[in-house]
Amino acid sequence: MSFLKFILKNPFRRKNSAILAIVGIAIGIIVIVALGGITDGLVNTFEDTIHAGGADFQISGKETGDSAYGTNTINASWTDKIAKVEGVDSAYPIYVVMTSVGDDYRNILIGIDPAGTSLADISMKEGRIMEDGENEAILGEIYADDNDYNVGDEIKIDGEEFKIVGIYETGDSNMAGGVFTSISKVGELMDDEDSISNIYVKVKKGVDAQEVADRIDAKYGDDITTVTSVMEMSQMADMLNMLQASTWAISLLAIVVGGLGIINTMLMSVFERTREIGVLKAVGWSNKRILGMIVGESLVITIISAIIGSLIGFAACTFLGPQMGIDPLFTPKIFIQAFAIAIAVGIIGGLYPAIKAVKLPPTEALRYE
Amino acid sequence: MNAVEINGLYKSYEDGKIKALNGINLTIAEGEFVSIIGPSGSGKSTLLNMLGALDVPDSGSITVAGQDLKSSKKLNEFRAESIGFIFQLHNLIPNISVVENIEIPMFTQKMSSNEMRSRALKLLDDVGLKDKADMKPNKLSGGERQRVAIARALANDPSIILADEPTGSLDSKTSSKILKQLIDLHEDKNVTLIIVTHDMDVAKLADRVVEVLDGEIISAGDDSLINSKIDV
Repeated sequence: MSFLKFILKNPFRRKNSAILAIVGIAIGIIVIVALGGITDGLVNTFEDTIHAGGADFQISGKETGDSAYGTNTINASWTDKIAKVEGVDSAYPIYVVMTSVGDDYRNILIGIDPAGTSLADISMKEGRIMEDGENEAILGEIYADDNDYNVGDEIKIDGEEFKIVGIYETGDSNMAGGVFTSISKVGELMDDEDSISNIYVKVKKGVDAQEVADRIDAKYGDDITTVTSVMEMSQMADMLNMLQASTWAISLLAIVVGGLGIINTMLMSVFERTREIGVLKAVGWSNKRILGMIVGESLVITIISAIIGSLIGFAACTFLGPQMGIDPLFTPKIFIQAFAIAIAVGIIGGLYPAIKAVKLPPTEALRYE
Repeated sequence: MNAVEINGLYKSYEDGKIKALNGINLTIAEGEFVSIIGPSGSGKSTLLNMLGALDVPDSGSITVAGQDLKSSKKLNEFRAESIGFIFQLHNLIPNISVVENIEIPMFTQKMSSNEMRSRALKLLDDVGLKDKADMKPNKLSGGERQRVAIARALANDPSIILADEPTGSLDSKTSSKILKQLIDLHEDKNVTLIIVTHDMDVAKLADRVVEVLDGEIISAGDDSLINSKIDV
C-alpha cells in the first residue's frame, strides 16, 4: 500500500460526514463555475456587440432611434472626416436599411464595402464576397440555414433579383442573421447614394477609444454621435464589473462556508482517531508525514468536490442558460480557478486539524479513550 | 553491548506534584527478555514510554539501542528504526486490511510497495495469519488482532520490542498463545523484549523481572522473585 492509497482511503471512514463536506464545497464550486460561465458569456456577448465589425465604437446620425441599426442616415462624406480625426486608425461605412428580403416583407439589408470585410468582422464560409455595384448578395449562416438558401440561388431584394455568391460566418449574432450586399448597391436601391447609416471606427493601437470618441463628439457632436455606443460600453462595463464582483462575493461566501465545513469534518476525524495518531507516532511517523496525511485527506474531499461541482455547474449552465437567454462561456480559466480555490480550501481547511494532530503528545494520544 | 542503559532518571508531572520516575537506574542487555511489574501508578508505563522515546525525562540519562534519548532531536526516526510497540489494545486501523496495517510502520523505511507487501505477508506468516491478510481487523478475533499487532511491531525490524500489557485484554488461553508466539519471535530474531505487566504469571516468563514501586526500582532482577519459568 502506498502512502497516497492510505490517504485516499481515510476520508470515507465516516461516509456521511465526508459526503456532507463534499456537498457543502461542491455547492460553492457550482456557484463559482456557473456564475463564472454566465459572466464570461455576458462579457463575450457584450464585446461581440460593442466591437462588432472589429471596431472600437460606432458612429451614427444624431437622431438615431432605439434600433440596433439606426435607420437615420448621415452623409457618406463623414467617413473621410472621421478617418482624419487624431487617433483614428480606420473608418468604415455601412448602410443598414429595412427592406423586403426574400420572403420577408421587411428585413435587415446591410451594405458594406466589399474591400473592407475585415472591419465588418465577417469571413466567408462558402463562396466569395460580392462584387461592388453588382446584384450579388452574401448571406449570414443563420439566415441561409433558416431560409434554406445555398450559394448559387437567387434571392429577391427590394424587388430585384440578386445572386447569392457566398455564405459568411461571424461572431456577431445580429450579423449572422443578416443579408449583405455592396454599399453602393444599397445606395442605388434606396436611391440615395450619398448616404450611409453608420461608421465603424477602429482606433490606433494603444490609443484609448473613449478619448477618440470624446474628441469626435467635441468636434462633430452637433451632427453625429458616438456617445450612445461609448456610453453603453462604459455602462455595460460597469455592470459587468459589478456582476464579476458579485460573483466573487458569492464565491467567497461559498468558500468560507465550505472551508468551515471541511475544518469541522477534519477536526472530527482527528478527534475520533486520536489513539490511531498516537500509534502512528509510536511507529515512527514524523510530524511532517502526519501533517501530510491530514491535509491530504482534506484535499481528497475538496478535489472530489471540485470535480462534482464543476460538472454540475457546467451541465446546469449549458442546459439552463440558453433557456434563460444566456449564452454561457466556459474557458479553462474558470475550471482552473475552481480547482485552485478547492485546493486552497483543502489546504487551509486541513491545516488547522493537522497541526492539532501533530501537537498531540504521543503518550496522551495513546491513552485517549 | 547493552540495549538499555538508564542512570538517575527522573520524570514528574503537574509541576513536580506527581513524581512518576524517581531516580531510576537500569541496564538491559541486548537480546534479553525483561518484564517490568508493579501496581497501577507505580511508574512502569512511564518507564516504558521513556524506553520507547514517547516521552522525555526531566533529568538523568537514558541510552537505548545506542541512542542517547535525552539529547536526541529525532526521536521519531529512532522509534522508526529501533523500536516495535505492542499495546494492550491492538490499536489496528479499522478501514484498511490486516496486511496493510502491518505495512504502516514501513512507510518510514525506504521500501517499494512490493517490498512492503512481501515483508508484511512474511510477518503475517510468522504469526500464522497469512490466510487473513486481506481481511479487515474487525473480522478477526481478539487474539488474532493481537497477533497482527505483534507482526506490526516487527515490521520495521526493530532491535527492541516494548509491550505494554500485551495480553491484558485477552482470556488466559489466548494470552498463553500470544505470549508463546512473542517469546518464540524474540528468540528467533534475537530481539530485546521488554514487557510491562501487572500479572506475575506473565512476568515470570521473562529472563529477569524488574519491580517498580512509587517511581523507583525496588528489584532489578532478584532471583528470589522468579522461582521458575512456567510452560506456556
